Formats: sequence, C-alpha cells, structure tokens
Amino acid sequence: MAGASASAASHSLAPWGHRVSSWLDYTINGLIVGNVYALVAVGLALIFGVSRLINFAQGSIYLVGAYIGWVAVVQLHTPLPLTIIVVAVAAAVVGLIIERFGLRPLQNSVRIAPLLATIGISFVLDQLVMLTFSPNPRALPSQLPDVRFQVGGGTIGPLDLLIAGVGLTSALLLFAFLRYSKLGWAVRATAQDRDAAMQMGVDVNRVNQAVFGIAAALGGVSGMLVGMYYNQIDTAMSLQATLKGVVAEVVGGAGNVPGAVIGSLLLGLVESYGVAVFGTSYRNLFAFLLLVVVLVLRPNGLFASARQAPPEPLTGTFIAPSRPVRIPRWALAVAAGGFAVLPFFPVSFYVLQTLINAWLLGMLALSLTLVAGTIGQVSLGHAALLAIGAYSSALLSLTFSVPVGLAIIGGGLMSAALGTALISPSFRLRGHYVSIATLAIGEIVSLVILNWESVTRGPIGISGIPPLSLFGYDLISPPSIYWFSFAVMVVLALLQARLLTSHLGRSFRAIRDDDVAARAYGLSLNRYKSLAFIFGGFAAGVSGGIAAHLYSYINHETFNTQQSILALTVVILGGLGNVVGAILGSVALVGLPEVFRIAAEYRILIYGIVLLLLVRFRPQGLLGTI
Amino acid sequence: MTNASGEPLLALTGVNTFYGQAQVHFDLSISVARGHIVCLLGGNASGKSTTMKIILGLVKPRSGEVSFDGASLLGLSTPQIVRRGIASVPEARRLFADMSVRENILMGAFVRNDRDAVAQDLDKMLTLFPKLGQRLSQRAGSLSGGEQQMVAMARALMSRPRMIVMDEPTMGLSPLYVDRVLELIRTINQEGVSVFMVEQNASLALEIAHEAYVLQTGKIVLSGPARALKDDPRIRDAYLGGSEAA
Repeated sequence: MAGASASAASHSLAPWGHRVSSWLDYTINGLIVGNVYALVAVGLALIFGVSRLINFAQGSIYLVGAYIGWVAVVQLHTPLPLTIIVVAVAAAVVGLIIERFGLRPLQNSVRIAPLLATIGISFVLDQLVMLTFSPNPRALPSQLPDVRFQVGGGTIGPLDLLIAGVGLTSALLLFAFLRYSKLGWAVRATAQDRDAAMQMGVDVNRVNQAVFGIAAALGGVSGMLVGMYYNQIDTAMSLQATLKGVVAEVVGGAGNVPGAVIGSLLLGLVESYGVAVFGTSYRNLFAFLLLVVVLVLRPNGLFASARQAPPEPLTGTFIAPSRPVRIPRWALAVAAGGFAVLPFFPVSFYVLQTLINAWLLGMLALSLTLVAGTIGQVSLGHAALLAIGAYSSALLSLTFSVPVGLAIIGGGLMSAALGTALISPSFRLRGHYVSIATLAIGEIVSLVILNWESVTRGPIGISGIPPLSLFGYDLISPPSIYWFSFAVMVVLALLQARLLTSHLGRSFRAIRDDDVAARAYGLSLNRYKSLAFIFGGFAAGVSGGIAAHLYSYINHETFNTQQSILALTVVILGGLGNVVGAILGSVALVGLPEVFRIAAEYRILIYGIVLLLLVRFRPQGLLGTI
Repeated sequence: MTNASGEPLLALTGVNTFYGQAQVHFDLSISVARGHIVCLLGGNASGKSTTMKIILGLVKPRSGEVSFDGASLLGLSTPQIVRRGIASVPEARRLFADMSVRENILMGAFVRNDRDAVAQDLDKMLTLFPKLGQRLSQRAGSLSGGEQQMVAMARALMSRPRMIVMDEPTMGLSPLYVDRVLELIRTINQEGVSVFMVEQNASLALEIAHEAYVLQTGKIVLSGPARALKDDPRIRDAYLGGSEAA
C-alpha cells in the first residue's frame, strides 16, 4: 500500500492509445480489465466470507505476483504456462505465510486487529518489493505475438484472450472446488456459520489456509497479467489493486463470490465507458463513485437478499477496551513547558524541523483519534481532510488575499464542513464498511482535486503559496514556525481533552461502544457523528492549512493514503481516543526515525512492522484507549 | 449420579466456568450414562447453553474435568471432539442456510471418509425423516422451523455419533412438531445413541429422559431419575427461579 502514487495515475490510467477506436473496443477493454479485477475480488470475497475480514494486503500479493512474473520471464526465461504456475504457487505461499503468522495469532483479538494487521502486512510487503527491485517501473513482456484480430468493429489480441481464458478457467475451477470438493464444502459451510461448521468437525484453520492460498494465487496471477497487459510493473500497483478489488467486491456484496465476479465486470465496463466519454483521468473517479453509491444505497451489495443480516456486529467489539494510563497534570505541564522553551536551547534547526512535522502530524492524529477512537469510525482516508484544508487555505490567501492566519482557520472550517458533508451519507455504515467508505472518499477528494482544473489547477498543483504569517509578521525562522505549530496543536489538544470529559464526549463513547443501545437512549447517531467529524475535520484542516503555507507548493498527491495510514498507526500507537497518546505517537513515529537516522525508504517498512507488533502485542496502544 | 451400570459415557466433574469476571458454572458435575437420555433443565441465564459449549469445546472451563468414554476432552478442539463421537444439534438449529438440504445433511458426515456407507446413511435419514425426501435440493434456509429441526437432527446423525448434544430442540416449534421431535429423540436413543439435551420445557423433556439435572444460576440444585423429578414440587420452584431452592 506504500509508495506515493506518482506513477499510479499514469499506470492505471494508461490509455489504450491508438488501439481504441470503437464502442466495441471499450466494451472488450472493460471486460478484460473486469476479468483482472475479478481475480483480485474473488479472493477478497472468499476471505471475507470465511473470516469477515477485508484483506488490505490483497493488492500487495498482486504486486508480489507481478514481480515474481518479472523474475521468471526476464531472468529465468520461463515459458508462459510455467510462468503462470510459478507465480500462482509463489503467491499462494506468501498468502499462506500471511495467514499463518500474520492473522491466525489474532483470532481471539478485537475485530479491528486483523484489519490493521493486513494494512501493516501490505506496508511491509510493498516496501520489501520496493527495496528489492527499486521503485522504478520495469517492463514485463508477455511473450505473446503482438497481433490484433478484427472482431466486428473492434480488435482483440492474444493477451486479451489469455486474460479472458485465465479468468474463465479460474472461475470454473473455483466453482468445481466449492461445489464438489470436501474442502470446498467446508469453505462454504464456514462462510455461512463458523460455529456450526466447527461442530460438524470442520477445522476452521485449514479452511482459512485454503482460502488465503487460493486468494493469493489468483491475486498473484492477476498482477502478472496486468503487468503484461501494460508491459509495465511498478510498486504503486499494490494500492490501486486493493482499492479496485475492494470496490468490485463490495459492489457484488461482501463475501459473495459470484457477486464479486459480476461486480468486477461491471466495474471494468463502468470505467471503460467513463474513460470513453470523459477521458482517462476520470477512470478511478468512476470506480469510487460507484462504490460510494452502492455503499450508501445497498451496503450489502447489488445482489444481496433482503433477509441477509447486516454483516457487522456492534462496534463495541471492534476496538480494544483498556484502562488508560493516567499521566499527572504536572508532568504534562512540565513536558509542554519543556517543548515550549526548546528553541532557546542550542538545538539544531533540523531537530526543530522534525518536531514541526511531529506537531502537524499530531493535529491530524488528534482528529483521527477522536473520529476513530472516541466515536469508533475507523477512517482510512483522513489525509483528504488535510488536502481540503490545505487547498482552501492556499486558495484563500492566493486568490482572495486573505491574511494567512485567517486563511488557515478558513481551511479548518472548510475541512470541517466539506469533510462532514462528504462522509455523512455513510453514517449508517459500521465497522469495516466505514473504513472502506472513508478510503473511497479520500480517493475521490484526491481525484476531484486532480480533475477540477479551473479551481485546483489540476495536476500542476499550487505553487507560490505565501509563507506563514500572523498579524502581518511573517513566520519564517524555524523557531517561530515551531512555536506557532506547537501552540496551535496544544490549543486543539486542550479543547479535545475538555470535549472528552464533557457530556458530549460520553455520548461519543456510548455510540462507539454500542450504537444500538445509544440509539435506544435517544442519542441521534447522525448528529453526534457529525459533531465528531466537524471537530476532527477542523483540526485536520488546520494542520493541512499550516502545511500548505509551510511547503509553499502542494498538489493532489501531497496528502496521500500513506499519510492516512501513518496517522492511523500513530493513533493506535498512542491508544485510540487518547489525546496525549496521539501526540506522543506522533513524536515517536516522526522523531525516532530521525534520531536514529533511518533512511527514508526503510521508514515505511518500520511503520508497517510497528503496526503489526502493536496489533499483536499491545492493541490498546502505549497509553491505552479512552 | 450414574444410575446405569459401569462408567458414564460423558462426565463433567467440578467444572467452574467464567466469562471474564463473571462466574457461569459453580462446581458443576453432570454425567451421562451409556444409552441414556439426560436432560439439563433451567431457566434463562442459568448456564445451560454454556454447558453445551463446554462439552463441544467452544468454551474452556477454568477448572474441572470433562471426559468422554474415559478420556479427557479438555485441550481438544471442537473438530477433534466431534471426531471422538459427539454430534450436536445447536440452538436455533444453525443450518447452512444457503446450502441445499442434501448438502446440509452430508455436512454432518464431514468427519467420515467412507463414501458408500455415507450414501447409505443418507437413504436411512430419508426413511427416518420422510418429509426431507422432497426437499433435498431446496435451500435449507427456505424450510419451516420444524423441517429445519429435522435437517439438523439428520445432520447430527450422519456422523454416526455415540452421543448427540441438543440445545433446546423444541424451541420455537409448533406443538405438532414438538411431539414429533421428542418421538424422534426417543427413536434415535433406542438405536444406541446417548442423548444430552438442554431444555426449558421441563414437563416435555422429563417425559423422554432417563435422568435430569436442574441448573440454577450455574449450580445444580436438583438431580435424579426423570420419573422421580416429574412429580417433585421443587422442580416448579427451581424452574420459576424460587430463591430458596439453592
């Protein structure tokens, strides 16, 4: 999931160029791409069916498959059939390792644990691939003759037929497995009633293993095929694949295997026709809009029967309960005082710069710990709030010459209003679905910024943003920027701490712990979720606003999913809902890698490992959940 | 408590169970003699269903012993316990709703590898539960509650168990089916399968059981031959939660 999506856009948006000429071509394209998505989505559906888990590492296996395919084709010169087998087997082994060592130890932990573990695993896998093969794109030749056959008004090539053939064969094999093999029956039985399946003598661990192995093999082959299709692979493929697979799976109905196939083909067609009408940069926008529409109108998918129970339990079981570590006030005051006078001491600007980054991340973490921890909506798209705040503040100061101090507040307000408005249709979702919806909304915000050129200047980004200033004085020296960002963060933290002890804070926690009971006591979920997102949106927007004036240049990729996940790691490190924990986590995750002079490319790897270790050994974080 | 001769088939001895801080079972001892129907009675939240879960290995007791045919079940996983010869008819039946009736029944034979004998047993189930013959290819979830209970019982029998544990087999059924289910439990038992059932409906259960235990807030407050308990006035007291019964 790591890797700035610098090349992601160009990669997945790669046009069919000269080939594309007719509607039939777009239809063929849509179905072929849909086939590729299906190989990913079916694996997600199998896993969700058996363990009610959205496997965010699925795209990483797809990435691994693509690179194993590259090694086989380019270095070992294997023939195509053997390449496919090598990729499927190697990817399956990776899947089995993930299941055995990443997820099985978490069987009895809180429900958020395996979800976070798959995110951590995807960080680690992506980063390992990047460190092994470098982030530069590589060519993955398909070994097939480059000829096109005329079919009606369109053309079709051998690779198209190969992808269609692999898709169809996999579907038939999977169908036969589920319908006629004993293990297949066990998979279906476990998906429908895990406890009852165990009481029939089904070993659920073997079922999990089988499902992860199959999902990984399909995902790996899919990654290889995509690499051949575009004749290019790079590490940004991972997140894209996870996102598309999740979209297709949710559209088809989470856990519904045939639904995932149909959802994938539908997604492929919607994207292909969308590209035909609006252009390539709109491809992903259509995918995520489709997802949000389905989530809001039919959260169980297009094909779910009405009698199906909502697939999420109460949110109360989603987050690790614990007793928070109480830190005495005087200690907090001493620490704050220490940080406040730090610039008077002979510290290097480098240290101040690092801490400024920590304070900015701290504001984002405050926002996320409120939304994810206190009211239980685990957001995976929080960087979108930064982006909204940053763009608003930058444009206010540049276009309307609003003083920077006011513009930043404007950015916070805009982020609060727009962020809450965007998420509000998803308020009735729970658990995993909130995470998916926020992830999609995050992507949508970034894609709108990319495409709305008249306002956001599109892919060029905004440059020449005026520097930070307060009451007419420019804040240019590192100490002044340090004091400013520290002060803003402390004020936000104090407000949030006050909020948590108020009646409102109690209501938030009641909704997190049991939203049915909270509703029964007359709490309006929508109103409280809105209030939490307004407060959180403001804090994140202010952070984004300050960042914009600090960097002086921003574009649609400045605030990406990687930052959302980093913020989530910070929040979990500190303890969900814990104000002091959010700040401590920010200092730890931004500061420690600097102190130990860890090279940038290893940092993401370390974040992934930190997340995995936390989930496994201290899911309540350092300071405990509140 | 073993009225029948010899070692009991199933024995729970001195079991203490906790859910977090809350104690569910206090020094619980229950035994099921070979070939008997034993019934565990009790009101809501008395710990009946947890007893089922302890036997099946779904919940682990903090202390005490659970043994089946002389060997301890503690430390075994649910699938391993099923392979020892215990089948279950879970509370509310818990069929695999989207699988066909046929597939559901055959899932019961998951632990067996003798295909031909399994096919014969399926035929046998259709003579025991003739109604299911016409329903074989239907989704299990589309059956009525009574029919589902038949499927659940057939499914349990398919593993050729030595004992079946049933959680409230008559719950939610129409009176017609309640009688039918009780009759079937008796038939199953006469073929040599021991039965341990948890019930709320004391008078019905006592009609077919050999022995019975009454559980109240985690303690056995009454036990003995079913015939004797049937006329015991304390049954009613214990049942309605009279506090003096302990």
